[in-house]
Amino acid sequence: MSDARSTILTAIRAALERRRGGPPMADETTIAAEAERLRARVDATRPDRLGGGPVNAFLKRLVSPAVAATAERVATLGDFPDTVRRYLTAHGLAGSVTLQPHPDLLALDWSEIETHGQPSLDEPVTVGLALGAIAETGTLVFHSGATSPTLFAFLPVHHIVAVEAGRIWSWLEDYADAFAGCAQPRNVNLITGPSGTTDIEGTLVRGAHGPGHLHVVLIGGAVPNSDVAGAPDYATLSERPMGADPPNNSSR
Amino acid sequence: MSAVGERLTFKARVRVALADPVLKVAIDRTTGNARTKRAAAIAAWPGFSAARDLGRDIKDHVIAHLDHYLIQFERNAKASGAKIHWACTGPEACDIVVGICRKAGARTVTRSKSMLGEEIGLPHALQEAGIERIETDLAEHIIQLAGDPPSHIVWPALHKTREQVAALFRDHHHNPGTLATIEAMVASARRELRGRFLTADVGISGANFLIADTGAVCTVTNEGNAELTTTPPRVHIVTAGIEKLVPSTAHAMVMLRLLVRSATGAELTQYTTFHCGPKRPGDLDGPAEFHIVLVDGGRTRMLAEGLAEMLRCIRCGACLNHCVVYRQIGGHAYGSTYPGPMGSVLTPMLEGLPRSKDLPHACTLNGQCQEVCPVAIPLPTLLRGWRDRLWRLGLESVSVRQGFALWRFLALRPALYRQASGLAVRMMSWFARDGWIARMPLASGWTRYRDLPRPPGRTFIAQYRRRMRRP
Repeated sequence: MSDARSTILTAIRAALERRRGGPPMADETTIAAEAERLRARVDATRPDRLGGGPVNAFLKRLVSPAVAATAERVATLGDFPDTVRRYLTAHGLAGSVTLQPHPDLLALDWSEIETHGQPSLDEPVTVGLALGAIAETGTLVFHSGATSPTLFAFLPVHHIVAVEAGRIWSWLEDYADAFAGCAQPRNVNLITGPSGTTDIEGTLVRGAHGPGHLHVVLIGGAVPNSDVAGAPDYATLSERPMGADPPNNSSR
Repeated sequence: MSAVGERLTFKARVRVALADPVLKVAIDRTTGNARTKRAAAIAAWPGFSAARDLGRDIKDHVIAHLDHYLIQFERNAKASGAKIHWACTGPEACDIVVGICRKAGARTVTRSKSMLGEEIGLPHALQEAGIERIETDLAEHIIQLAGDPPSHIVWPALHKTREQVAALFRDHHHNPGTLATIEAMVASARRELRGRFLTADVGISGANFLIADTGAVCTVTNEGNAELTTTPPRVHIVTAGIEKLVPSTAHAMVMLRLLVRSATGAELTQYTTFHCGPKRPGDLDGPAEFHIVLVDGGRTRMLAEGLAEMLRCIRCGACLNHCVVYRQIGGHAYGSTYPGPMGSVLTPMLEGLPRSKDLPHACTLNGQCQEVCPVAIPLPTLLRGWRDRLWRLGLESVSVRQGFALWRFLALRPALYRQASGLAVRMMSWFARDGWIARMPLASGWTRYRDLPRPPGRTFIAQYRRRMRRP
């Protein structure tokens, strides 16, 4: 095995030397500087999505047909259990729901809903808390860990997720930059809408192996005007300042 | 690879494909959808052209420092607890994967679609080893039931119509239901595969990107099958080509924008996951062992032999969807793991030029593939390079060599050339009806499958001279 390693690296170096016409390979500093120059070109290439601020852009993208999640806003995380209860009623979902073992969620008053800890293979509903979100693509961010097991986002039919308005990054790279140089979790899951597939004739169908329904509850940042199944009226929502203030990066 | 691929010549496989009306319907439905959605996604992205240049430059940068980035990736992946394996060839890679499975006492493995896995022959190697393989991607599930090889790098079951998928599920699924709609078919596959996810001993995936500065492996899926494949089993094995590196997560984001729009026309896949090492202390799920097999499989030779630009390829499939040849013959006719323009460049390197000498000719050089390529690979130029090599190695058939000899003879004698081409143009017009030629001597290879447009009455030179004579 180590033989294969040295064979491959030797072959690469020989080929690169021939391509360069002989001069020695670049040192790490030069390579890093070149990579940084490439990184600096990124911003100008990004699709313009952020009109109206990251919160509104995120919500707009989230409920667009391309992403096909549903969303509502509430004032505080304390409103979340009631929101979940109304969602369950509206969708005729009776019985117990799985609660992601996050201390902020466990601290809430769930007395009106029966909850349990482990999702089953065909779990009807899990209730979770995302680390944050990305406005550009309408994406939720989860970092795996003791308070955020990976399968909670993949086993249920309905995934109801709370995310704080103050934790929305504008662009994909803003999220990447926020954690550059930090220890990586085992899994970073960027989740953009309910699962789907285009594998039969290129036609998009929702609800493949992952959840068929993704409902996002945005916490804070505006006056709630919630409507469980539909999109809020964005025109009436107060705007937050653009990108400049990245969410704080304390790990969840 | 397939039984068909082994037995028949390229031309014979093409004849089979062209004679199949259902195949044509299947190809048109998916590639048509793909082209429409990609066009809309690119139109909504004014920065596409600049992003494409940047994507090209990021890949070129990585390729120019490939040794550096491989070592950096290895160091960081090891630090996260991953075990790194290196394989020079496909069979070596398969031996490593099978060895890990055996050591884990694996009876069943779940697998999330990976073209590299197909390239190295992993499905076959697992079968030989007596390990049950459960394909979890819907399209891979379909072709596993059908016993077919993939026919497209993004939609492996592209050659199946929804009617054919319904028939297949009716025969194989335990609880297929009505299968009246595509939604019902997807639901049936979900029910069928659900139980297999949690009971598999090993999960195997590919990699869309390897992130050098974190040691993470990025996978993209829309179905969520990758995470259900890689999270529950005790062991997760990644097989990845050594060209999949990017410097950092931020660089990966640029490549993701290009990849997803070019592949399906979406802006981001539903599930974009960075896998970094095994289960951590306190984690409630995840694999206890995390292996990454880095595979050369001809990539260092591509670097050495003038095909470095092909190492940019991010396997989006746009060149297939826009190729006039692929859209007529589909993927199986190519007889190789990778079909279409990118396949015709890769296959001679992976399987040898003598075995795949027809592929560089399965191209009209119309340039569509290069135009839609998100990393600007000059595919027509690379295909011409193979044609050039075929000629110089004397691998072209006698009839091709004689044809070129005749053309060369005429081309070196301009007066004779003009006479001959003038005669040919006039003769072709005699066979035309309503502007099209349905049949003509020496042209049956073309006219058997489509009409030939009637040429203008005079040659270019004749028209040019006439115009120049005018005041």
